[in-house]
Amino acid sequence: MAESGLAGILPAGQATARRKVLPIVEILSLIVAVVLPFVLQDYLTVFATRVVILALFALSFDLVWGYAGIMSFGQALFFGSAGYGVALLARDLNITSILVVLPAGMLIGLTFALLLGGFLLLGRHPSTVIFVALGTLTGSYAADRLARGWYYLGGQNGIPSIPSMTLGSYEITEGPAYYYLALGILFVVYLLCRFLVRSQFGLALAGLRENEQRIAFFGYRSQHLKAIVFAVGGMVAGLAGGLYAFHEGFVWPNMLGVVFSTQVVLYVLFGGSGTLIGAVVGAVIIEGVSFWLSDNYRDIWPILLGVLLLLVILFRPLGLISFVLGERERVGSFGGPPKGSRDAAP
Amino acid sequence: MFNDFRNLSRRRFLSGLAFTSGAVATGVGSWVVRPDWANAAEGPIKVGIATDLTGPIAYAGNADANVAKMVIKQINDGGGLLGRPLELFIEDTASNESVAVGNVRKLIQRDKVDMVLGGITSSMRNAIKDPIVARGKTLYIYPQLYEGKECTPYLFCTGPTPAQQCDDFIPWLIKNGGKKFALPSANYVWPHTLNVYARKVIEANGGEVVFEEYYPLDQVDFSATVNRIISNKVDVVFNTVIPPGVGPFFKQLYEAGFLKNGGRLACVYYDENTLNINQANEIEGLASCLDYFKTLTKDDPVSAKIQAAYDKDYPGNFLFAAGSAATGTYRGLKLWEAAVKEAGKLDRDAVAAALDHAKIAEGPGGPAEMVPGKRHCKMKMYTAVAKGGNYEIVGRSDGLVDPKEC
Amino acid sequence: MGNAFVAGFEILSFGAIIVLIVLGLGIIASMMGIFNFAQGEFVLLGAYITYLAHSGGLPVWVGMAAAPFLVGALGFVLEALIIRRFYAAPIVAMLGTYALGLIIRESVRGLIGGLYLSVPEPVGGSIDIGGLHISAWRFVIIVITLLVMIGCYLLLSRTNFGLRIRATLENPALARASGISTASMYGTTFAFGAALAGLAGALLVPVFSLFADLGIRFLIQGFVAVMVGGVGSFMGPVAGAAVIGTLSAALPWVMAPVVADILVFVLAIVFIKFRPQGLLSGKGV
Repeated sequence: MAESGLAGILPAGQATARRKVLPIVEILSLIVAVVLPFVLQDYLTVFATRVVILALFALSFDLVWGYAGIMSFGQALFFGSAGYGVALLARDLNITSILVVLPAGMLIGLTFALLLGGFLLLGRHPSTVIFVALGTLTGSYAADRLARGWYYLGGQNGIPSIPSMTLGSYEITEGPAYYYLALGILFVVYLLCRFLVRSQFGLALAGLRENEQRIAFFGYRSQHLKAIVFAVGGMVAGLAGGLYAFHEGFVWPNMLGVVFSTQVVLYVLFGGSGTLIGAVVGAVIIEGVSFWLSDNYRDIWPILLGVLLLLVILFRPLGLISFVLGERERVGSFGGPPKGSRDAAP
Repeated sequence: MFNDFRNLSRRRFLSGLAFTSGAVATGVGSWVVRPDWANAAEGPIKVGIATDLTGPIAYAGNADANVAKMVIKQINDGGGLLGRPLELFIEDTASNESVAVGNVRKLIQRDKVDMVLGGITSSMRNAIKDPIVARGKTLYIYPQLYEGKECTPYLFCTGPTPAQQCDDFIPWLIKNGGKKFALPSANYVWPHTLNVYARKVIEANGGEVVFEEYYPLDQVDFSATVNRIISNKVDVVFNTVIPPGVGPFFKQLYEAGFLKNGGRLACVYYDENTLNINQANEIEGLASCLDYFKTLTKDDPVSAKIQAAYDKDYPGNFLFAAGSAATGTYRGLKLWEAAVKEAGKLDRDAVAAALDHAKIAEGPGGPAEMVPGKRHCKMKMYTAVAKGGNYEIVGRSDGLVDPKEC
Repeated sequence: MGNAFVAGFEILSFGAIIVLIVLGLGIIASMMGIFNFAQGEFVLLGAYITYLAHSGGLPVWVGMAAAPFLVGALGFVLEALIIRRFYAAPIVAMLGTYALGLIIRESVRGLIGGLYLSVPEPVGGSIDIGGLHISAWRFVIIVITLLVMIGCYLLLSRTNFGLRIRATLENPALARASGISTASMYGTTFAFGAALAGLAGALLVPVFSLFADLGIRFLIQGFVAVMVGGVGSFMGPVAGAAVIGTLSAALPWVMAPVVADILVFVLAIVFIKFRPQGLLSGKGV
């Protein structure tokens, strides 16, 4: 994963002496992730798989928030709809082949994101961040209530007993097999995202983050850019949703709702937005810490988690990854340091 | 050992902080494996309980956990099962299916229990049965009254079914309430399926269903429903709204004058635990049909003994009651014990085969028998009415009632 | 006719409840631009304090009277310690208050053991009008809400203190230049918003019973109400709350509750999209 392009843009004499930390972090994470199942017992590998899928979900949010500045409080809408969609495919049409369900999940996520994004983001006046945040939050909440009330979708029960995903006649069950599948998908999506944000499109996005009006004057249609990123984010969330549904074996209304949506925002904020790896790190740390806390401090662990989150938000608003990565290395910064006012708002 | 310790500290914490908790944590020696045992080399038999220790149904889940601890202790004190001690693992399903699945996985994959008993609401059962029975290949006993139609192999139900709860109850309601029924319900699988059965019985006995409606589980404002009930002059409200909505619903119904005008409330999961949700005058005359009521202890010595043992070990707010799956838990564990004794080993197929026709002579409310091939349980049923905050038995079944399932 | 009266009463009482909750949320949002995700938990605290008073043997209304003051005091402390740091970044504020809300909610959950507890109302029973019965307590809630609203309005428009608050609302820089300590204004406003939430929780708890997730239930409705009504003024959120509350209570009378639930939100979002400034735009009262 070589750092391409950055060296040319940096002013001469600056930063070339500084070691590039990001690729090291990424490669280390990859090595740890690949080796994990050999070290852990089966039960923990299953847990790790779930974390990997949630990391993929977190990645979708980092795309829209870290790179396009869209505060989407409703990513779970795409995650959950894809989950429900593939669950219905499995229940009603008996389709469990990975070749069908994962693309289906992506398509569902993409469609809903286009619809919601189109409504919220496009229009005569650019939408405020707060409006988009509340609009997506409401979308997620409304989807949750709809699923809860619709008996065909199982209502409060959700859809239980989803059979295993299959590849031909081979059943992909939870454990190392599913883990490597999820990890592989995360790896590919991560690379694609990295490629996207370093491309010309990503350059336009960087301009969008810096100054939306100026980018518009240059002829870029900023609203369309945002809608595209939102749609891609929705697609990735949908992919994660499909994987999650088959791994857990059931889908239920909470997958669509506000708690899941907010959780993914927290993952990214905690890890560090705008860095892609930050999303993964955030998901891993929060889920891991929750797991460990819930085992050892059964009664007060949510309180401890809340305190931890609050401390990070207060004192390290750029996320934990900022301990390791400098501001410059946020993928897509394209060299120059960001404006000072952006330091307060990650 | 570790698990006992963890569960212990939770009890101590809760009893320390929770104002209403009068229960003191049970002593250290109550359900810890005793190392100086015959056959201890083979290790303990592991029993897993997955129940709602927190959440709206926590009043029931905690009672079930207490019953499990009590029964396991009794069995251990009596020499264990197959000469081996029993070790209990309790996990919280928290009325949250996602959390539940994660915790149930702990029981199956990490603790490797030999049997799981638990789940209260049907949505919980549906969520956890797959990890237990299919992926986990473990025996699962479901102890709560429910809507029927659960015929999954290796899943045994020890709570009442619609046939047991409605066949005699609804004719009694028509005679002692009236012909016009309303079916306000929570929107999930149990009320939907139960209402189908109840409607059949109501109409077969000359009654009429005026309306049937479904509400989200967290709905707390029922003014529209109450209005519909009053204006349609409904005689019997056959309620399947569950906590948290049921308290406000009954209160609003009372305030609108339903009981004053001679209406009858009916709720088949209402037991001694739920009596505390409303004030006594708000539920005066409420009728329920269950396999056990505390007032039975006056004439049934077996029930009296079980109730006394529970009350001694677990005084406090989590009562031994039938609508809370506590009696089903007791029954389920004792039937399983009998099955394991007959099978002589812990292998799932052997125990399942023995459990298929297991019987116990002594249970709360009366003896119980599994119906061979059906994985459901015959038991005695009682109809009771709430008067001044207590139940009065107004009807008893002739012998054991058939569950008529599968 | 009687039907319509009862329906109207029920809708009004539910609307009143929403107004109480949203009042605090709206004041904080208008004044400081922060959507306080912990507002629901202030409601929960108000309910919890009432429960504590009741289970401690005190009359329920004592708990209800104490709740707003105690929660307001807590709000004041939290503002000074934590919320203050978020003024520059409203988005971070939402998440920070979410974390705060999480801490409060889980603490209460641990304290009540995850159970659903009931608290009796101080004024129970029903009022008989003709042949109709209406809940006495809900009637009291409507009355109290009206009094609170009138009180707030008078406070804001007629008193010196209200003048200073309005000044800070309309133009913080100018207010500061005029010698008004905006920092203490913010602190007082946040405390006031919290106190209102505490009062709402205290009044609500006999109706809805006490459980740890009580606050989340109203949070989304609250935010939507504030957006619909218009951020920046006092009457804006109130108007929004009245609209949302009335719709939420009225629609289930004419359609399935599930559809009504969702329709309110869909309508609200569509409305905001086409009128981003809300019903009542403009700052001040």
